[in-house]
Amino acid sequence: MIVQGQKRKDVWWVTHVLLGLLSIYTLVPLLLLFFNSFKSNNDIVTSPVAPPKVLDFSYLKNAIVQIHFFQAIGVTFIITACSLFLLVIISSLAAWVMVRLKSRFSSILYLSFAAAMLIPFQSLMYPLLNEFNFLGLKNIPGLIIMYCGFGMSMSVFLYHGFIKSVPQSLEEAATIDGANIFQMFFRVVFPLLKGTTVTVVILNGMWIWNDYLLPFLVIGNSDGVKTLTLELYFAKLISGQYGNPWELIFPAVLVTILPILITYVFLQKYIIAGVANGAVKG
Amino acid sequence: MNMYNKKRMIPLALPALVLFLGVVVIPFAIGVVYSFTSWRGSYFAGGDHFWQSFVGIENYIKAFHTKKFIDSLVYTVKFTVVAVLVITFFSLFVSLLASRLKRGIASFYRTIFFLPNLLGGLALGYIWQFIFEIVYSKILFGPQGLISLPALCNMTQNNTKALFALVLLFTWQMVGYMMIIFTIGLNNIPSEMVEAARIDGASNGQVFLHITLPMLMPSFTIVLFLTLSKCFMLLDQNIALTDGNFGTRLLATQILRTTRDSAPPDYGLAQAQAVIFFILIAVVALIQVSITTKREVEI
Repeated sequence: MIVQGQKRKDVWWVTHVLLGLLSIYTLVPLLLLFFNSFKSNNDIVTSPVAPPKVLDFSYLKNAIVQIHFFQAIGVTFIITACSLFLLVIISSLAAWVMVRLKSRFSSILYLSFAAAMLIPFQSLMYPLLNEFNFLGLKNIPGLIIMYCGFGMSMSVFLYHGFIKSVPQSLEEAATIDGANIFQMFFRVVFPLLKGTTVTVVILNGMWIWNDYLLPFLVIGNSDGVKTLTLELYFAKLISGQYGNPWELIFPAVLVTILPILITYVFLQKYIIAGVANGAVKG
Repeated sequence: MNMYNKKRMIPLALPALVLFLGVVVIPFAIGVVYSFTSWRGSYFAGGDHFWQSFVGIENYIKAFHTKKFIDSLVYTVKFTVVAVLVITFFSLFVSLLASRLKRGIASFYRTIFFLPNLLGGLALGYIWQFIFEIVYSKILFGPQGLISLPALCNMTQNNTKALFALVLLFTWQMVGYMMIIFTIGLNNIPSEMVEAARIDGASNGQVFLHITLPMLMPSFTIVLFLTLSKCFMLLDQNIALTDGNFGTRLLATQILRTTRDSAPPDYGLAQAQAVIFFILIAVVALIQVSITTKREVEI
């Protein structure tokens, strides 16, 4: 018995050491990012892994000005929030209709939504831009519409999977009580979908917030407002023509990911649960 | 009586349908048609309308004779094979380790491993470019470094090394995500099954081979599907790390940059490459799902 216990303790230690090392490996790049956001270019290149000698905030300040941080985060927030809001309402309604109307049309529709998840963005981006340019929508509202359209497949798929398991009896009771179709959906059905809504918001929010390609194609390097990722890209591109100006890149990267890190600290439980939930259904 | 009135229900699904058609279906269909024309982005060579500039399958023939496209195709396949294997191995390894611990501690580790996945590919790419160019090449593996390993120096400036650099970066980013999926799978294995096997005298290895692995097949289906499609469509990290230089273009980057490779921009060729790209993804994904689904066991 003692031998058994000793062996188990050893295994416990090995497990912790391995996981601990891998955690350090995961965190070191982010630690470097933090350290080097307070150092001059010279210090960064000569002693890249050393913590800063003094906390010099001037590089951060400079980066905030260079990438128009407050304007960019505002725009990114508006784009992400509007896309998510529309996406949740529109896709949950559509999925509910598809489940409840058991017609051939609705199952064909559902299959085409699911199949479209395999279409890579690259195979339709040029015609899409052409079309939106023609419609006068090569701008931020257009960007929001594109995100909604693109997130629709997966969101409908996730809602559809869950709504199938929601019993109709509640909806029948609501109809008998005289609720109209909107009241029935938003007061009775929608609250039941909370878990799926969290998943839809997190999975879509993660890529819309960080997306580079769509804003690059739609907004590009015009004088107008840009999203955070786009500002970061152009800051690197323009200042990076003569070597890499790390004293700008590091603080710029830090301020762009800080909002996500803070959100993660507070909402990590929901985020992990949301991703887990999506993975099981997907 | 059906209480769901068709006439009143269908309009509720219309916004989704319109968005889906306008943003996905119509551009995709137009894209397929344009891949058979000499589209130049803002006009059509040979006429005012697309039907006047049909060139048949010329763009497809051209695509397979474009060295950059073939190179990027090969590079993407190599990257995907290596990355899928490495990511699957490490995420399974980490979830098996964490499954031995108490729930609270395991979820603490999971929180750390998942963190990189939240951040944008571009931002992460810049950090890792610095790590490969400065930390690896000077401090760790340079001539005056900790251990001199030329193989790990200047990884972003060589076609083969950059492939592994990208694998390192993407593994670092994806392991946490895939770990969540494997962990759900591991938690779903009934403990009576393992206990019964133990009573019958099964060793650790036997339990793993004959119970854990077969029971994890549904998780493998999801993990392989996600890593395969994410690797195939990878763009941001590729652009941030090497910008496709030194022959490191992945397919997604290649399609984006084709229109810059020639003047006037050859959108018809880009579109043909994009259609090939779609077919490749669809075929690989369908084959993978059908293979791994067959291996799933019913409880």
